[in-house]
Amino acid sequence: MSLFISNLTDVTDQSDQVNRFNPRTGGHTGLITGPVDVSAARYESQRPTTATHRPPLSRSSPTTASPPMAGDGERGRPMKKMKTSSSSSSKAFHMMDEEDFNDYGNDFDDDSGEREIKKRDFTQLELKPDHVNRPLWACADGRIFLETFSPLYKQAYDFLIAIAEPVCRPESMHEYNLTPHSLYAAVSVGLETETIINVLSKLSKTKLPSEIIDFIHESTANYGKVKLVLKKNKYFVESPFPEVLKRLLRDDAISKARINAEDSQGADTFTISKSARELQSGHEDLLNGAELAAVAEERETHSFEIDPSQVENVKQRCLPNALNYPMLEEYDFRNDTVNPDLNIELKPQAQPRPYQEKSLSKMFGNGRARSGIIVLPCGAGKSLVGVSAACRIKKSCLCLATNAVSVDQWAFQFKLWSTIKDENISRFTSDNKEKFRGLAGVVVTTYNMVAFGGKRSEDSEKIIEEIRNREWGLLLMDEVHVVPAHMFRKVISITKSHCKLGLTATLVREDERITDLNFLIGPKLYEANWLDLVKNGFIANVQCAEVWCPMTKEFFAEYLKKENSKKKQALYVMNPNKFRACEFLIRFHEQQRGDKIIVFADNLFALTAYAMKLRKPMIYGATSHTERTRILQAFKNSPDVNTIFLSKVGDNSIDIPEANVIIQISSHAGSRRQEAQRLGRILRAKGRLQDRLAGGKEEYNAFFYSLVSTDTQEMYYSTKRQQFLIDQGYSFKVITSLPPPDTGAELSYHSLEEQLELLSKVLNAGDDMVGLEQLQEDSDDITNLKSRRFAGSMSAFSGASGMVYMEYNTGRNKQGLKAKPKDPAKRHVLFKKRFG
Amino acid sequence: MVNAMKGLLISCDIPMAQFIINYNASLPPSQKFILHVLDNTHIFVQPNMGEMIKSKISEFRDQNTYEKPA
Repeated sequence: MSLFISNLTDVTDQSDQVNRFNPRTGGHTGLITGPVDVSAARYESQRPTTATHRPPLSRSSPTTASPPMAGDGERGRPMKKMKTSSSSSSKAFHMMDEEDFNDYGNDFDDDSGEREIKKRDFTQLELKPDHVNRPLWACADGRIFLETFSPLYKQAYDFLIAIAEPVCRPESMHEYNLTPHSLYAAVSVGLETETIINVLSKLSKTKLPSEIIDFIHESTANYGKVKLVLKKNKYFVESPFPEVLKRLLRDDAISKARINAEDSQGADTFTISKSARELQSGHEDLLNGAELAAVAEERETHSFEIDPSQVENVKQRCLPNALNYPMLEEYDFRNDTVNPDLNIELKPQAQPRPYQEKSLSKMFGNGRARSGIIVLPCGAGKSLVGVSAACRIKKSCLCLATNAVSVDQWAFQFKLWSTIKDENISRFTSDNKEKFRGLAGVVVTTYNMVAFGGKRSEDSEKIIEEIRNREWGLLLMDEVHVVPAHMFRKVISITKSHCKLGLTATLVREDERITDLNFLIGPKLYEANWLDLVKNGFIANVQCAEVWCPMTKEFFAEYLKKENSKKKQALYVMNPNKFRACEFLIRFHEQQRGDKIIVFADNLFALTAYAMKLRKPMIYGATSHTERTRILQAFKNSPDVNTIFLSKVGDNSIDIPEANVIIQISSHAGSRRQEAQRLGRILRAKGRLQDRLAGGKEEYNAFFYSLVSTDTQEMYYSTKRQQFLIDQGYSFKVITSLPPPDTGAELSYHSLEEQLELLSKVLNAGDDMVGLEQLQEDSDDITNLKSRRFAGSMSAFSGASGMVYMEYNTGRNKQGLKAKPKDPAKRHVLFKKRFG
Repeated sequence: MVNAMKGLLISCDIPMAQFIINYNASLPPSQKFILHVLDNTHIFVQPNMGEMIKSKISEFRDQNTYEKPA
């Protein structure tokens, strides 16, 4: 007989400590003495459901001190709240700039004696006597914190969104960051340096730190001096200051790009023209109008022409990190007599919502059109903004979408909201090549059709020529975040447009290429606050939840084995506890609430297994178009079909306004964008407005569940994926006991035998079976990070994948056999390799 | 004859027990430390292994934890 000598106390102590410092995982996986459910309960209490941030994860014992954080770049980060007293959150503060802040007071952290390093300390800032009435804190490092409960919140928000980059916007405290780019955007929408500083200091609770004032001066001094103008199909760099142009020309890249029209008489002569300049600003309410008299004066403008292919280079050279004369791109469309007008008006029933109005006013602030990006959540009516912009400019408009389905949707939106005549709008996709009619019109096409580098059919070659030769009033770009940068460059170099408007919901990419957009399109003009839209009932109020499903013993044992490394994903997705949780949720929402449910699974094996077992319809890449339509129709209309399973084909393009519950059983690694896009499927506002507002009948009318197997990689991905939504102010509630412990055999995989059978099924499936679904249109930024193979997916990405086939099939069409473009996903594997 | 063995009792949740067992199995026989697997949540190990197991577990946990980059 063995004798147990346990030194449990020791272990408990340690694990407690772990719990405290690393609550995210500690509570669950630590060496805890006691039944599991106790730890789960403790856990829930540790993570308040309303918390908008996960508790900071820094460890504090000296041996595991977090690595020194890199100094902040453009978006200096870490501080989450201004709160200083809570011991757990103050843990996150200790990381940078030890030397700089060492000598400041200790008042911040007398509660945690073990902390040796102080974060930023702003106690030396002078508080204004009436600080209670002022809504924001401005810190010397460019970060700004806004109290959303302040009466001045609305005005302050509008102002901040114009001058600073939102970092994180939870319910009551927003964090913003002043960056050169954001200030550039501010200047480009007409704010002057002095205005920015004045308003900021009026709103700030403290005296503005001199660093901030210097920073604003420094980054805005050179803005707006140089403009890029497109006239008669030629690009000109314009400036009222010839000396600035000379300085620019001293740069190699720019002087090379210059085209000397008059036989190069020397670099010193510029074309001189007269132009009216006007100044305008918003925010009068905050500045008492005095400083804001609009000035209009005649000015001499000096300009030189540059090579269209070099435009992007020149623009990049002018950015703050190089020559620091960022260019403004403006289009004076009212005075453009060269390009023919398009007869297009908004229909009277198209009533832009306040935030849509605001975003448009940013774009057309001074009567001219500015290039830039407008960020609105999914389902908040991006297309109306796009259509309204086209209606204001009233010139030819090229609208770019990501795939053929959204091309159709855009064409439909144009017809729905505007008075455009049918003959003035044409679609250009691989199977739908409509000719242009008339001098001006709207053309809707995909990025791929324009950027496609291979040989085209005669038809499309003609259309592309037309696109290339035309001077576009507006280039409308949908979903700008998804398009690879090089494709953008191509599109932008091919099309000559006076004004570019990018629309997106999620301005994040895993490859951090977002900043490229700043010079490819323009500054961010407007970004809506998701929570405000929710509060006003414009988008659905979604309850987000992360459901933690513990791995069963057998599955976890297999998960840990080295030889199963390729099957890890299949194992944690097929975790029987997860399956049961999923089944439970489906039953609950179908039966108790009568909801319509979408279940997302990236893993094809899991998708099939779940859908088969639960006997629900599913749609994935290989599902034919007719089948898809049939299933979606049934989902929309039939009371018997309340749940559908979707693979990642459903992430973006499928529009299912009926659905209000999403259950996510597997996902694409840590893609923040996918998470947000999936959430977007249910964001469209439902029900009656008064029910949706706070205090109405249903506070939450949409549910987003993410099922996660604990102790696996999924935990990592899941947290990462949520970051974007958390920054928008969403909070994820953690649910640990689903299905409830008292449920038994009525849910599947209750008995051990069933579970083992499932396990052997997973283990016996081939490696290729259990992997991720490989869609052809899958040129996602994460996969691109791993392998940059665009060759095949380029055309497929836009839904133009049938194109190659069409070219081959033209002969057969003549024989009267209507050849249908083949669904690329149905190709035999051998051919997939060749065409895919 | 009663055999007395000094050791350390570890009690934890089911997946972590599997983790410890799996780790033990991956070691060469001379380094194996589990004396007895008592049930799903209890393991009896050699007395000096506590620290090592803890560090392994926290390493494993860190891999599954996302920290927002600063």
